[in-house]
Amino acid sequence: MSDSVVVNYKLAKAPIYSHCFSQDRSILALTLNSDCLVFRLIPNGKPQLVATLPDHDKTVTSVDISIHGRIVTCSQDRNAIVWEPLSDGSYKPTLVLLRINRAATCVKWAPSGYKFAVGSSARIIAICYYEQENDWWVSKHIKKPIKSTVNCLSWHPNGIMLACGGTDGYVRAFSGFVKGLDSKEQVSNSPWADKFPFGALIREWYDGAWIHGVAWRGSQEKLAFVTHNGTFNVVDASDEILTAEYPEGLPLTSVVWVNDHEAVCGGFSCHPVLFSEGANGWQFSKNIDKSVASRTPVAASFEGGDDQDENPSFGISALRKFKDLDLKGKVSTQVQECTHENAIMELAPYAESSGNVTEVSSCGLDGKVVIYRV
Amino acid sequence: MEDWRRIDIDAFDPDSGRLNAEDLTPPNLKVVSASEIEPRISQLRSAATSGDFASALQLVTNDPPYGADETTKTRYFEAVLSVLTQVRQAEIANLVKQLSLKQVDVLIKYLYKGMSVPEGQKQGGILLSWFEKVTQNSGVAPVVRYLSDRRTV
Repeated sequence: MSDSVVVNYKLAKAPIYSHCFSQDRSILALTLNSDCLVFRLIPNGKPQLVATLPDHDKTVTSVDISIHGRIVTCSQDRNAIVWEPLSDGSYKPTLVLLRINRAATCVKWAPSGYKFAVGSSARIIAICYYEQENDWWVSKHIKKPIKSTVNCLSWHPNGIMLACGGTDGYVRAFSGFVKGLDSKEQVSNSPWADKFPFGALIREWYDGAWIHGVAWRGSQEKLAFVTHNGTFNVVDASDEILTAEYPEGLPLTSVVWVNDHEAVCGGFSCHPVLFSEGANGWQFSKNIDKSVASRTPVAASFEGGDDQDENPSFGISALRKFKDLDLKGKVSTQVQECTHENAIMELAPYAESSGNVTEVSSCGLDGKVVIYRV
Repeated sequence: MEDWRRIDIDAFDPDSGRLNAEDLTPPNLKVVSASEIEPRISQLRSAATSGDFASALQLVTNDPPYGADETTKTRYFEAVLSVLTQVRQAEIANLVKQLSLKQVDVLIKYLYKGMSVPEGQKQGGILLSWFEKVTQNSGVAPVVRYLSDRRTV
């Protein structure tokens, strides 16, 4: 573990596919199997579990918290649920019928907090918003020309443009304009298009590999995306794609902008990676939380009172022998290169100062939530 | 209960549409015809017979015929395979070092293609030593890129 790690929460014994902190960073929601767990953060302490949101009956794939504190979850059971926080700390669920016939894969609140988008394996993005008259969350579909599963979504800070990436190798930008909710002023002087009718395809860019993560940089009118073949890409309104390759070459799953010229990515290499823009375009900058030269030894854990036979050294040497059999290609059992022990699934900005992200949080297949200093 | 996992849900929804092979072919591929490829094959063979493997390898890894049809690709691949297998074991490491990142990515595609067809499997040993030298040089990155690249050789 290096000094770039601020906090390391070991919260689950199963993969965490998605996590989200509330606006004031007091609440942490994360997916765990077919539930969503809500934790209250305690300074210098272990997060306290305050609620379990159990209504899904298949794996929950994504969770997001709006600026108003509403939690939305989506699941492989093809539904999304909006959870309204109540004064007693519990949450009131409202089912959102997405009208899709395959799993929902990702969900994102629009910056306004009044609508959200759900990506799915049914080649559909559902834009959902609340209708007062019917007391009902309405789901409107964006279908064309998506050809395969939607992996990731990102709302532009203007709240209308929605970027998505998927397994068809395309990054697309759609308009998620909802009449009565959005106004044309939000996209006046946008360099991307003149008109934004609902569902219109504004731009599309071909990459070829699976797109795992997209992120807008509103102030720069740029879009970053990361792919399964380990590249970090930035595209702007002129359609010029700038690509930087990640030297380790492992797939990248998520991307967060740090400032206008830096972005941090995470993926199968279990630690965040920083890309930066210099005179020669975008380039790999550095690994965060990866000890290359000094491999940190992890204290061998022979816990429990199992080694109480007459000759303890015999028991330990036998244990070591079996551990060595289970090296799986590693040089030694006693090596831990980075805090995450498995792939990072999602990164999110955690702390910001004057428009620059200073800390990012991550969740991974190892059931950990880690906060890094960038 | 009926095995619901096997129900073809798309059959109930005519609009749903399936992903087919055409959807996966990359757009804007330059079409390469069989007649264009013949001179390149003879170029390759002559470079190989004169023992100039460095330039033969440059030919192989620059501008591979992604847009050609399957038979043309196979014909071209036979020439590539004969080049790869004629190189002596000791020279491989040196040749791999001279390639750029992009060229290594192409080379990996030919190595995997070689291992997937019977002609190449007969020469499996030499293909594996190429593979070994490539991964020693640039790690697993070319392999990951091979897996996700839809432009095939």
